Amino acid sequence: MTLVHNWHLGRKMEYPYFESRPKQQFAAVFNINRCIACQTCTMAHKSTWTYSKGQEYMWWNNVETKPYGGYPQFWDHKILQLLWDNGNNPMEWYTSDDDKDATSAPYGLYNSDTIFELAQTKGLNQQAVGYIPDDKEWRFPNIYEDTAASEKTNYETGPAAESSELPEHKRWFFYLQRICNHCTYPACLAACPRKAIYKRKEDGIVLIDQKRCRGYRKCVEQCPYKKPMYRGETRISEKCIACYPRVEGKDPITKGRRMEARCMAACVGKIRLNGLLSGDYTKPDPKNPLDWMIHIHRVALPLYPQFGTEPNVYYIPPRWAPRSYLRQMFGPGVDEALEKYATPSRELMAVLQLFRTTQTMFARFEIEDGKKIYETEVDGRKFEVYNDTVIGFASDGTEMVRVQVEEPTWESDEKRMVTY
Amino acid sequence: MLNKLLFKSVLFMCAGVMLLLASNDKVFSQGVGLGAEAEATVEENIPREKALVVKYINADLDTIDKAFSQAAPLKLELQMQDRAFPNGGGSVSALEVRGVHNGSRIFFNFKWSDKTKNDRVIADHLFRDAVGLMFPLDIVTISPETPFSPRMGDRGKPVNIWHWKADWEREMDSECGFEHMEDQYPDMFTDFDFHTHPLHFHDQELHSIPLISGGRAAGNMLSQPNKGTTVEDLNAIGFSTLTTQDHQDVQGKGKWENSGWNVTMYRDLITADTNDVQFIPGVETFFNVAVWNGEEGDRNGQKSISTRWSPVKLETVKYDQ
Repeated sequence: MTLVHNWHLGRKMEYPYFESRPKQQFAAVFNINRCIACQTCTMAHKSTWTYSKGQEYMWWNNVETKPYGGYPQFWDHKILQLLWDNGNNPMEWYTSDDDKDATSAPYGLYNSDTIFELAQTKGLNQQAVGYIPDDKEWRFPNIYEDTAASEKTNYETGPAAESSELPEHKRWFFYLQRICNHCTYPACLAACPRKAIYKRKEDGIVLIDQKRCRGYRKCVEQCPYKKPMYRGETRISEKCIACYPRVEGKDPITKGRRMEARCMAACVGKIRLNGLLSGDYTKPDPKNPLDWMIHIHRVALPLYPQFGTEPNVYYIPPRWAPRSYLRQMFGPGVDEALEKYATPSRELMAVLQLFRTTQTMFARFEIEDGKKIYETEVDGRKFEVYNDTVIGFASDGTEMVRVQVEEPTWESDEKRMVTY
Repeated sequence: MLNKLLFKSVLFMCAGVMLLLASNDKVFSQGVGLGAEAEATVEENIPREKALVVKYINADLDTIDKAFSQAAPLKLELQMQDRAFPNGGGSVSALEVRGVHNGSRIFFNFKWSDKTKNDRVIADHLFRDAVGLMFPLDIVTISPETPFSPRMGDRGKPVNIWHWKADWEREMDSECGFEHMEDQYPDMFTDFDFHTHPLHFHDQELHSIPLISGGRAAGNMLSQPNKGTTVEDLNAIGFSTLTTQDHQDVQGKGKWENSGWNVTMYRDLITADTNDVQFIPGVETFFNVAVWNGEEGDRNGQKSISTRWSPVKLETVKYDQ
């Protein structure tokens, strides 16, 4: 084991390999607030990569209803329970200003064991705590769809009224969109005794070498997000490949420019923005939309940072869900992120317009000021909307899109208003 | 003068860095075996005294079982693999090995008790029974002075491994030479059809396998149908370096009976492949074994092993008068 810095945890942690960050990192921001669980992303994935025999149960992208849903069933409950270790590992965070640092510890300090450290503490015969889901757990990709939690399951909110109101609904559920997180410290990679799993230096995509894999299922066991999956037909394991030919710009449609993954580009609800993070987390690029949202504005948060893998898919948490649940899922950055999302700044308002406007990955954005168009109050805070224009550029500097905060509308001539 | 001083200081600095590295085992161990491989002990480099005598009998595949009954068995004690992470195994405690050659082919027979037959790996929780046989690739002397790892070879000390797999055996005997998903999940396509393999129904899916199968496209032998053998011919130079050979030369057959496996692996004494061990009657080499019990989830380093090499002596060919 060596010591590596995990900025999600605000500290060094144990990992079997040296810290070796990629030059750029495949990443995405998912805005949970916008998701309608239409599963178009899921089908885009399925029809591209896992339509063959032995892959029937493989959903590298899935959308599950929280708090009950999960694929494989109860994956996060189970990992959290393993990590909780009968209360011996309380998963605590220190969040005072002393424990924080703008770049290396933005959420504070995680003061408990990660999945890697707990495996060591307990002297387990594996690199990370984990389990192999059985067939039953893979049966229902969308189990508990739209099933809400109510006062009975949520001690904090008390009895539910007939209707629920912000800031926290008493009856609630939300959709969680999941793909492989292409972690900075992948547990699957750590687990593989053959080193058949590798993380690409150029874009941080984590892949299973299909020639070296021998189907030991250590990655299936130790990935906490349960995204490597064993394919019975070929006797080896497969995982989400981040549509790497598209990321490399091999699809002729974008003329050699980097392209968003299939599940991202297919998103109907415009909840996803996919791109590459600049490699050095201590020097985020304020003009890169992902760097800005994740490192600078901190409106998007990692999924279960306490696992310790430094996942690279970031979520804007749902406004209406109980905060304690969200803090468990996205770490202590939740309150700040939700405050920023509920009354978005001019810049955030503009960046949110970039989601799903083109298949080309943005490397840079610019904002041109527009005039004020609206004013209101949210949670007792003044909120003004300006009709700014945001311009997205590809990595080669080409302007890809130019959109305004207020969507332009056009009214047809009265003469054309034919009524039947 | 200045040059000499500079040279000396650089030399001292190098020595200092080396010391620092040597004292911190984390740094050195990372390159090999995920930092948890135990140093080889002296005993590991002392081969067992009793050799396996590969008897010369003019037998062939049809008569080999009878020939084995004339060969003296070498009984090996097996133990849990506790030398490299992840550890495991130990559920098989003994293995009987016999050897016979007929002047052109060499046959090895293995018998071990295993109450459960695990010969399918199509579902997530299924692991195979298997036996591995390992030889130093070249002619070597093994002693504490001339160490040679009995685990999986080492850098610069390659080994040749023959790996018999119970699921490959089952496939050899099966109708199509390869087991598919529907053998494990008979109703996977439909719950409402009298015919559980409605090929017409999922014709497209079936034809998509070669298109969207990473394992087959990459030439991973585990994923290939109709392999034509039940033994995989491999090389290794230490833990996590196991690699399938391009040229497969070893054959095998196995049978599970009386709560145990009876497996035979055979090959020509001499092959044209430079990655294969070559057997010359009259010349001694070494071998080591490992057994996997699928029921216990054995795979990879989770295996029952013999911790030391055993000599193999091939009898010279006796020509009939």
